[in-house]
Amino acid sequence: MTIFKRVSVLISMILLQATLILAQQPSQQGEFLPIDQLPPEDQLPAAPLLIAAYSFVLVVLFLYIVSLARRLTSVQREMDRLDANIKQGGRA
Amino acid sequence: MPKWFLPLALVCGLMFAASPLVIASADYESTMGLVQKIFYYHMPSAWMFLISAIVCGVSSVRFLVTGDHRHDRTALAAAELTVLFGLITLVTGPLWARRAWGTFWVWDARTTSSLVSWMISWAYLILRRYGGPGSENLAAGLAIFGTANVAFIYVSVNYWRTIHPATTVVPKLPFSMGFPLWFCVAAFTLLFVLLLKLRVRVEEQQARVDELYLSLDDFGR
Repeated sequence: MTIFKRVSVLISMILLQATLILAQQPSQQGEFLPIDQLPPEDQLPAAPLLIAAYSFVLVVLFLYIVSLARRLTSVQREMDRLDANIKQGGRA
Repeated sequence: MPKWFLPLALVCGLMFAASPLVIASADYESTMGLVQKIFYYHMPSAWMFLISAIVCGVSSVRFLVTGDHRHDRTALAAAELTVLFGLITLVTGPLWARRAWGTFWVWDARTTSSLVSWMISWAYLILRRYGGPGSENLAAGLAIFGTANVAFIYVSVNYWRTIHPATTVVPKLPFSMGFPLWFCVAAFTLLFVLLLKLRVRVEEQQARVDELYLSLDDFGR
């Protein structure tokens, strides 16, 4: 068998494998079904992802609220300072 | 701030504090198990992501029609919240997908259109920040485009081939999973209202500061 033929067979096998893998894609879910007990093998791999997701949400929300509070305080301070300047200017 | 703000903030804080207990009491899903519980924060934040994009678009239309800058301030506040809730959605989704689908990301219609919508909100904010005078009109047009994308995001899972759960999941939820979901939706909706009010307040105060600077200029003359 020539090198060209060997490469052609190899490429054909790879393409066939790829088609099979794509065909085995999981189907779309139409509903969620609850179960009573969580299988033990499911507990460890999922936990870090779950903790990461909830931690991320709470940290991002907290940081945004802090940022909003700082912006509000800063603009309020600037407004008070300008108010005082205008009053002083009015008196002069 | 209005009288309702503080009591509502307290209720919202209590709801978020109680949410881990409520979510823990929910049943495990049969195929995804523990990781499916990301759903209880992922879906409400995704809804707030879409709602804030709608608020931004509607306020932009009202601003373009009336020229009233109060609507423009609401649109700007909503655009920032679109970025915030979009970020939460686009991070929690892939963390869930890693376990459920075996990959962090798939370029299907739902995830791609959500990413596009999030980038439109970023574009809106960048335009407002660096666009100079008159950029609010151009940004308003961009916001309308972002709102049009919301409908596409919502229905995309029903029309295109995807492994993302369809919109039929929520109405079919049993009580043990539905109650925690609606509890979290209520908490996120309250949070959205409070953050929007607070962000609009920052813009209102900033507008007042600008007016005061103009008054000082008048004194100078």
